[in-house]
Amino acid sequence: MQASIGGRCAPSVAGKRISTRVQNPYVRPASKSCRSAAVASAQTAPEDKWLARTVKEVPTPAGLATLRAESTAALATLRMPSTRNEDYRFTDITPVLRTNVQPAPAGAAVSKELVAKHALAGAVATVVVVDGVLRLELSSGLDALPGGVYVGPASGAPPAVVEKMGSLSRSRGGPFAVLNGALAPDCLVVSVGAGRELGPVHVLHLASAAPPAGDSAPASAPRSLVHLGPLSVGELVEEFVGLGPAADAGRYLTLGVTEVLLEQQAQMKHSYVQREATGAFHFKGTLVRQAERSQYSFVEAAVGGAIARHDLTIQQAGPETVTEMGHFLLCGPSQLHDLHSRLTLDHPHGTANQLHKCIVSHATGRGVFDGNVKVNQAAQKTDAGQLSRNLLLVPLATVNVKPNLQIIADDVKCTHGCAVSDLRDEELFYFRARGISAEAARQALVSSFGAEVVQRIGHPELVKRVREDVGRTLASVELFATATQA
Amino acid sequence: MLEVKDLTAKVAATGKEILKGVNLTVRNGEVHAIMGKNGSGKSTLSKVLVGHPDYEVTGGTAVFKGKNLFELEPEERSHAGLFLSFQSPIEVPGVSNVDFLRMACNARRKSLGQAELDPLEFYAYIVPKLEMLNMDPTFLNRNVNEGFSGGEKKRNEILQLAVLEADMAILDEIDSGLDIDALRDVAKAVNQLKSEETGVLMVTHYKRLLDYIKPDFVHIMQSGEIVKTGDMGLVDQLEAGGYATLSDREDS
Repeated sequence: MQASIGGRCAPSVAGKRISTRVQNPYVRPASKSCRSAAVASAQTAPEDKWLARTVKEVPTPAGLATLRAESTAALATLRMPSTRNEDYRFTDITPVLRTNVQPAPAGAAVSKELVAKHALAGAVATVVVVDGVLRLELSSGLDALPGGVYVGPASGAPPAVVEKMGSLSRSRGGPFAVLNGALAPDCLVVSVGAGRELGPVHVLHLASAAPPAGDSAPASAPRSLVHLGPLSVGELVEEFVGLGPAADAGRYLTLGVTEVLLEQQAQMKHSYVQREATGAFHFKGTLVRQAERSQYSFVEAAVGGAIARHDLTIQQAGPETVTEMGHFLLCGPSQLHDLHSRLTLDHPHGTANQLHKCIVSHATGRGVFDGNVKVNQAAQKTDAGQLSRNLLLVPLATVNVKPNLQIIADDVKCTHGCAVSDLRDEELFYFRARGISAEAARQALVSSFGAEVVQRIGHPELVKRVREDVGRTLASVELFATATQA
Repeated sequence: MLEVKDLTAKVAATGKEILKGVNLTVRNGEVHAIMGKNGSGKSTLSKVLVGHPDYEVTGGTAVFKGKNLFELEPEERSHAGLFLSFQSPIEVPGVSNVDFLRMACNARRKSLGQAELDPLEFYAYIVPKLEMLNMDPTFLNRNVNEGFSGGEKKRNEILQLAVLEADMAILDEIDSGLDIDALRDVAKAVNQLKSEETGVLMVTHYKRLLDYIKPDFVHIMQSGEIVKTGDMGLVDQLEAGGYATLSDREDS
């Protein structure tokens, strides 16, 4: 097993402007002068002030000691990004940094009935995580798992798997991933042994939004580690839900990290559904490493929260590896959704496909997409496709999209495309010609725009929950009443 | 049923005049066919009649079952019983065929003051229609036209015609891209759907469709006008000598 994966990200590309990511780019080596993006005034500043207020010492459970030590050390010199950092150029996190956040108090009351409302019928196990804390008494199916499979806290997990914790986020995680490492109360481990098969595991992340004290907002740092042994098959469904009425815009911060390691020929389906409360800040890092001939299929639906950012980094670490990514983001009133995806192909005969779809339904909504696919010299015979489609439903709605391919290898098939538009008149007319009113047609077309991706989740009740959220967001802005007839 | 008089229309975006005075009357129970070269205005005529936004009517009238078509929105024309089978129907990813068909069906039923069909009732309603078109029921769960072959798209159009139970069907090149089996299925369905109370207007390039669906009248369209009207004999003349033999416009 390779101990360090970070080293391979060092660019071997002559003349290309790629920052050397041997270390986390946000962590300033103490002795060196700061990066050019930083301004002079920050140079002499001590630690980041917001971090100094936010980071509290939290108990370290078994298995998290190394991660905690590394993350805490990294935090000492980490500064939270501003719009001057290229990675956060369009994602202004000032509202987060102005919020006084404290780790959420553990033990928020959650009833079984409430958990049942978010059930997933096809799941073989449901893991309930409340404010980042694993709640075994609310979880189900964990004691009836097949042999060679483990789902539960780090303390009972196979040591060889626990050792891998942090191996991906250490080198490729952003500042919020580092913060997660310093605050995570535990780590959910999903381990599937060689040749084993595990049905869908539903990880239900609930945010109680119960304020810790005074005027501060609660922060939670849920963390997961997934390891699929050679030739194994697994499915993970992550659902993040804000509790309480959606109208109650309770502020809270979720800092999630999920690390996924797929060994040779492992196959994984991974769904990530973000349905946080309207006032929530949600930062998620998903870090994936795929060994040879493994297959990773990822679907995302991000419909909740006020500011939400997802950093998805996938590394094809062996030949004949297959990666599928589908994303759907909906930006309603005052919602910012940012997806940064990085896919690195380092080996021949890799296949990758990415479909990104974003709807901005309100003038105060903004979508951000930076999708990087990097095909390195060794990745000959790569077949990579990337498509970003963005639907702006009202004037002033904004997207900042940057799909980008960096191709070093010379014998590859790579395509990418990007479209920003309103609904196509042709589509609208097709419905109207069949007697369906323009308003109903717009509704059907807008919801179908996202459904193309959302359907890939496959679990009907979860798809329905997402569609209901989408319907609510679209209805709330009276989009169709004001739609122009242009 | 449908009476078109001196219809002129242009492309909304460019202002190019396509229809230059079309006259056409379709009575109950009649089947009409329009033939003509590419660019003669056949497809434009079909699209204008159903209210396609790419075209602008500049003159003339079209009366359908006593109503002025050009005062109706496209969906109202559909409710009134007018149907266009599109030459190249678009794909709608994310909307299942069965949802689309049910939306369309219920929109028409609602306009007629009939009760809407719930999913189960609709299923019972549609299965015989699928059988008529030799279509597999799995068709219903696929997204509208997504990944359909040319033949499947055309079958799907005729399925929509069957579901809507339209009174007047305009079929814009339903024979293009069809293999012989698909053509036979589609033609058979159209023949079953037509009656003494319905009208059919077919736009085509080829005689083989007309061998399956016998027209009562054949019109030749040229440069935005109907220049000649006759029966199947006209088609045979065309097959033998091409449009050149019909170019004596004054005769019409």
